[in-house]
Amino acid sequence: MMLDLLVIGAGLTGLTAALRAAEAGLRVKVIAKGMGALYWTPGTIDVLGYLGAEERAVQRPWERIDELPERHPYRIVGVKRAQEAIEWFRIRTAELGLDYGGRKGGDNALTPSPVGAWRPSYLLPAGQRAGDAEDGRPMVIVGFQGMRDFYPHLIARNLEAQGQAARAAVLPWSVLSERRDRNSVQLAEALDEPTTQQRLIDALRLVVKPGERIGLPAILGREAHARVLTALTQELNAAVFEIATLPPSVPGIRLATALRRSLEGRGVRVEIGMEAIDFHAQDGVIEFVETATSARPLKHRAKAFLLATGGVLGGGFDSNPDGRFWETVFDLPLTTPQDRRRWFRPLFLDPQGHPALRGGVAVNDAFQPIDAAGNVVYANLWAAGGLLAHADPIAERSLEGVAIASAVAAVEAIKLGSFAHA
Amino acid sequence: MAPVSWHSVDLTLDECIKCNICTSHCPVSAVTDLFPGPKYVGPQAQRFREGGQSRSPDHSVDYCSGCRVCNEVCPTGVRIAELNARARAQIVAEKGLPLRNRLLGRNELLGKLGSFAPALANFALHNAFSRFMAEKVMGIAREAPLPTWSTSGTFRDWLKRTRDRRLKSDKKVVYFHGCATMYYEPFIGKAAVVVLEHNGYEVIVPEQNCCGLPLLSNGEFNAARTYHHNNVSRLAGYARTGLPIVGTSTSCTLTLKEEAPELLDYHDEPATTLKLGTYDIFEWLRELYEAGELRTDFQPLPLKLPYHAPCQQRAHRIGKPALELMALIPELDLAESHARCCGIAGTYGYKVEKYQIAMDVGAELFEFVKAQGQDVRYTACDSETCRWQLEHGTALPSRHPIEILAAAYGLYDLERRDVVAGKR
Repeated sequence: MMLDLLVIGAGLTGLTAALRAAEAGLRVKVIAKGMGALYWTPGTIDVLGYLGAEERAVQRPWERIDELPERHPYRIVGVKRAQEAIEWFRIRTAELGLDYGGRKGGDNALTPSPVGAWRPSYLLPAGQRAGDAEDGRPMVIVGFQGMRDFYPHLIARNLEAQGQAARAAVLPWSVLSERRDRNSVQLAEALDEPTTQQRLIDALRLVVKPGERIGLPAILGREAHARVLTALTQELNAAVFEIATLPPSVPGIRLATALRRSLEGRGVRVEIGMEAIDFHAQDGVIEFVETATSARPLKHRAKAFLLATGGVLGGGFDSNPDGRFWETVFDLPLTTPQDRRRWFRPLFLDPQGHPALRGGVAVNDAFQPIDAAGNVVYANLWAAGGLLAHADPIAERSLEGVAIASAVAAVEAIKLGSFAHA
Repeated sequence: MAPVSWHSVDLTLDECIKCNICTSHCPVSAVTDLFPGPKYVGPQAQRFREGGQSRSPDHSVDYCSGCRVCNEVCPTGVRIAELNARARAQIVAEKGLPLRNRLLGRNELLGKLGSFAPALANFALHNAFSRFMAEKVMGIAREAPLPTWSTSGTFRDWLKRTRDRRLKSDKKVVYFHGCATMYYEPFIGKAAVVVLEHNGYEVIVPEQNCCGLPLLSNGEFNAARTYHHNNVSRLAGYARTGLPIVGTSTSCTLTLKEEAPELLDYHDEPATTLKLGTYDIFEWLRELYEAGELRTDFQPLPLKLPYHAPCQQRAHRIGKPALELMALIPELDLAESHARCCGIAGTYGYKVEKYQIAMDVGAELFEFVKAQGQDVRYTACDSETCRWQLEHGTALPSRHPIEILAAAYGLYDLERRDVVAGKR
């Protein structure tokens, strides 16, 4: 039986869109080149953290949406629909055992990054909420001797410099593992084991002072996260929070895993290792997308196609030294400058971001890719997430909000529109 | 100098963004410190392997099982498994290869030798003393699930014996059986033949060699080239006339399609024609199904069946066609494994220093099977060495999906592993 919808990309956008489409009763499948970008992200839902050249983080993201560029995905979706999409996502993830929540009144929360900077986020997973700057209580940032990419002294000192009382403590590596070298995922798996949890609790007892919040690298269990968090909080009688690590990032992986399992439970296949390399269209209608296999390309037919391959980092775009910059599956028209001298501003961390990152696939109000003249490129193609033009999710700290809002809006449009074309 | 080039993998090296997704999924580094993980051994160590240097900088690559999970999950398309295979070949070229690895690489020869007197060969290999000696002298783990030679003749013997009963038809398909079907498990080939004939196809079984994968994964590229050359010579002609070449061993078909051409830089016209004409049998049957040409006169199979798509099947990047087609069988209750690897990885788990690693890797899969409950009678898996490992790790018999399909057509007895009498 023909698929109603083929989603290309298994990041937050693709998985969210597939879930929404499956809920609406569409026959949907997800294909992706590899594991999606959720594996790199801190697992927070960031709606809007920074605006333009403003140095201060945005306090109330929904109140600032109309200051974004006119064709920014949020402005196409509209604040009300975007809020509804995020709320739907919060409810669904709660059903999957992930308890996302934020500050009261729609304010951004601020939690420590792995270098001790405050990161603005709209929703935090349960494990990160006690790290909010709003709380005010002193922190002890706990690391482990020899753990790569997590330096408690650096984090604590930077937090202190920003007015947050914080100190660092380092526990022996052997608390976590008898193995020589483990990354954050493997450490989280080790903490799924009750014996490792107990070792950690015993070790923490010796270093934590009364009244301190305990900040740990985000390794507090992979499958048993909720149990680990509860055990630590209760046994130590202290607030405990995770600080998302450099990739691989366990809170993002927990979210990816929960979404994939939910899809599998609904009979939606998520096929990894399938790189979309070509497609065939007839009279402006896409008939199939092809993925690379060990021999011949494999055809994936569907009535509608949703492109959710992400931005530059996610793999939605590629470029070459001649200055060509293209969308990788359909070679869609882009707003990105086709002159490599105009891709980047001189400063790497320019608060305004870079033109190469704000450029992308322009869409109409139904999230269908359009050309420069505003014409729909393919009648049965939609796009959502990091590849959309006029947003710079990294500089804006809007990656997850744009992903969810545009994924939901695109699926709503597909429900309304696709079958007229097919 | 090493018989390797870095030709096709060099450029993918720069695609590595150090995200560690591969290391997080690597089933081997998850269970042993002896293998630090694909990112380190692959794209990182590779920086030190360039430019005709005389010695390899990193020997832990020998602990890569070659399962290709890293390739599967990599979001940027780095060909990590190929990097590792080439690095291993370079070490073999530098240091030579122990007798054990030479033997394990030559399963065609072993199959042939044992088949002269299979009962004797089985006795000679499968007794406690021999296995003890094989471990002590050669380093082949005594508990490892080595196969037994078929005592009812080879697959080709059966073909000869039943020559008069085989279907003749205008629709033809070429069958690549591989060594395991030929010498150890002829019933897999019988199941494939009856399924193909049931769908109206005459099955052609040309002379063929081992696909060469055991040699490739043991780093013997030159010997593998000879095998691949022979297969290309014997099979490309069929592919050129448009006949599909289907195989029941997913690792053999993967080797014909991709591993051999890629690792051996073997891309001439005949090799490419063979590559493009070769199919995993379920990949091809799915095409028949999608064209509305697959017979679906399936009888109910009231079974709970845990199915594991092996690494070498997933490396085809064709989805899971066996799962899709088995789902058409009434009353068959399929459970899909998401375990990364069974651990055996061809001949990896036969080696004494790697046996326990292979069992620890497989634990995830064995647990999955156990979680499916007491009434599970069989597991299913497309790859022979993985089935043997599954049986070893779960104590449940394992079947190839083609056996399941043949049984659902009423042509095959799953318990006796033979075609049903009177059904060809």
